[in-house]
Amino acid sequence: MDIWPLILLNGLTLGAVYFVASSGLTLIFGLMRVITLAHGTSFLFGGYLGYVVAAATDNWILGLLAGLLAAGLLGLFTHQVLIRRFQDDDMRVALITLGVAVIGTDLMLAIFGGTATQVPFPQNLQVAVNLPGIGDYPLIRLIILAIAIVLGLAIYFIIAKTRFGSIVRAGVDDAPMTSATGVNVRVVFAVIFAVGSALAGLAGVISGSLFPLLPGQDGSYLLFSLVVVIVGGMGSIPGAAIGSALVGIVSQFALVVAPTYAFVLTFALMVIVLAVRPQGIMGRPA
Amino acid sequence: MSTSTSSTPRTANWRGWVTAQNVVVVVVLLAAIIFPLVVDRPRFWLPNIGVRTLWMGTIAMSLVFLNRYVGLLSLAQMTFAGICSYGIGYFSVTMGWPIIPSIILSLGVGSFAGWLTALIAVRTKAIYFMMITLALSQVFYSWASQAIEVTNARRGIAPIPRPDFGFINLNDITTFYYFALFLAVLSYFIFRYTAKSQFGLAIQGIKDSPERMSALGYNVNRYRTAALTLAAFVASIGGVILVFDRNQVDPSFVSLDATLNILVVAVVGGIGSLGGVFIGGLVFALLQNFAQDFTDRYMTLTGLVFIGVLLFFPTGLVGLGPIIRRLFSRRAKTSNSAESSETLDAARRAGTHNKKGQHK
Repeated sequence: MDIWPLILLNGLTLGAVYFVASSGLTLIFGLMRVITLAHGTSFLFGGYLGYVVAAATDNWILGLLAGLLAAGLLGLFTHQVLIRRFQDDDMRVALITLGVAVIGTDLMLAIFGGTATQVPFPQNLQVAVNLPGIGDYPLIRLIILAIAIVLGLAIYFIIAKTRFGSIVRAGVDDAPMTSATGVNVRVVFAVIFAVGSALAGLAGVISGSLFPLLPGQDGSYLLFSLVVVIVGGMGSIPGAAIGSALVGIVSQFALVVAPTYAFVLTFALMVIVLAVRPQGIMGRPA
Repeated sequence: MSTSTSSTPRTANWRGWVTAQNVVVVVVLLAAIIFPLVVDRPRFWLPNIGVRTLWMGTIAMSLVFLNRYVGLLSLAQMTFAGICSYGIGYFSVTMGWPIIPSIILSLGVGSFAGWLTALIAVRTKAIYFMMITLALSQVFYSWASQAIEVTNARRGIAPIPRPDFGFINLNDITTFYYFALFLAVLSYFIFRYTAKSQFGLAIQGIKDSPERMSALGYNVNRYRTAALTLAAFVASIGGVILVFDRNQVDPSFVSLDATLNILVVAVVGGIGSLGGVFIGGLVFALLQNFAQDFTDRYMTLTGLVFIGVLLFFPTGLVGLGPIIRRLFSRRAKTSNSAESSETLDAARRAGTHNKKGQHK
């Protein structure tokens, strides 16, 4: 049996987790031109909350929703209380959210401890399916890949086809003019910030079902989201999809080819893309 | 720190040098020089507060220099310092070379890392630049924690003894403190000199209007690359102090936490002020040492201080100076438009690079 299709599929499912996390980041950047460095905090916070709820209710779906909601509320709080006034100052927003990340890391370490936890998911999903050319493959990974694809298509269609989506696109192009046409851009900003954070929280629960949740993952997932968004092009959902698939596949192949330097090779991808196309694969020139 | 020396004509008149900024510098320097003589427990204060303030301040100063004069916020400064520390460990301990060539070569390696980073990142601006330097710093972290043949992976390189140069012996903690102080002050004057040189004026012009400078024939990217390399060199000087302070080097030197700590130091001290970083470093070192006495969550406390400074004192703690002065002058004269415009100007200069200019 050939090992490469398996690695490819592993890369894609890993990319699915990256996509859910980074789509939130790219949405926030696309509309507001700010980067939230608390994105990893939303990720881990959502993951932990999802773990608590899923363990207490024995319901994986409730866990997903809890993670989504918790991170969304955290994002809403951060936006309304801390950064709304400085929205035009992208650097200050980045720095304030960095402060949120520092506090979040410390408090989550205090509350949830330093040991690994894993979100429990139903027994009947803990099976393998037989895929042609690959052999037995865990069903949960395929479900997560499907969730990511559905979510990606949903976001894409909401942005491209609905009225809310057109408001968001208008806001991306020219926030003051959109505001002048009677749209309450402040509300749109708040919603997008909350949704973006909620997506990170969802990614946290999903990732926590596949791999253990650990302190420090907030930092690493923030970085992976940043790399995905840089590679794919900031503000582009298709870009985030391409970027996360690339990052996932490259990191899995690198694990096989050069395990010691897998992380370095993943970043080498970013460097190559930047050298050729500074705005990212799907990004518009700044 | 808001009075600019450049406004006074530089004649032979010594009074030209008596400015508020220089007075503050001299006072702070005197305080730093008598510091070892006045503290009650030098064995605790000198390494834990004094030397730590100096290396954090030096590295943070390179970040502030880039932010203030080039308009780029680099999160890789701690990494350049760490690369220099690793260099000293590798050349002097692993390879067994003499210490002075090791230090000089390591400074070169740290600066070279800055030059390489510039090649990748210099085409990008503002927030992109920040994210790319952050990502590159993490590349080095992951490499350092895995490359067992060079960095000895997670265990790091230890011990790296403080050298005895013959004429000065760094094993004496007071001597080491003054050595670190000398390097920090040297770094400060390197930056001040550079800022006033022709090169410094050019990079400030590039910060304000890259298009115009480009039209005037300046190679914008080459100037930015040179500035980043210089900042990496100064960060490497901080790395020299750092490695002899810890007597070892391991991946935690270049971790995300360490990178963020330097940013906290820069912001708390005042991201627009070269000297202010040492205040930030002092506050941070004090927090690290004493907050543990009453709370385990000193990182939360640090984060709260960081956010508080960002929300209420965008110019950092050095920005408190003009605010206090304004409070006093308000008592003296009711109208103080000149003073407040000065504060505003300081705030604008200190405020991070903002593509949309001032909001409001």
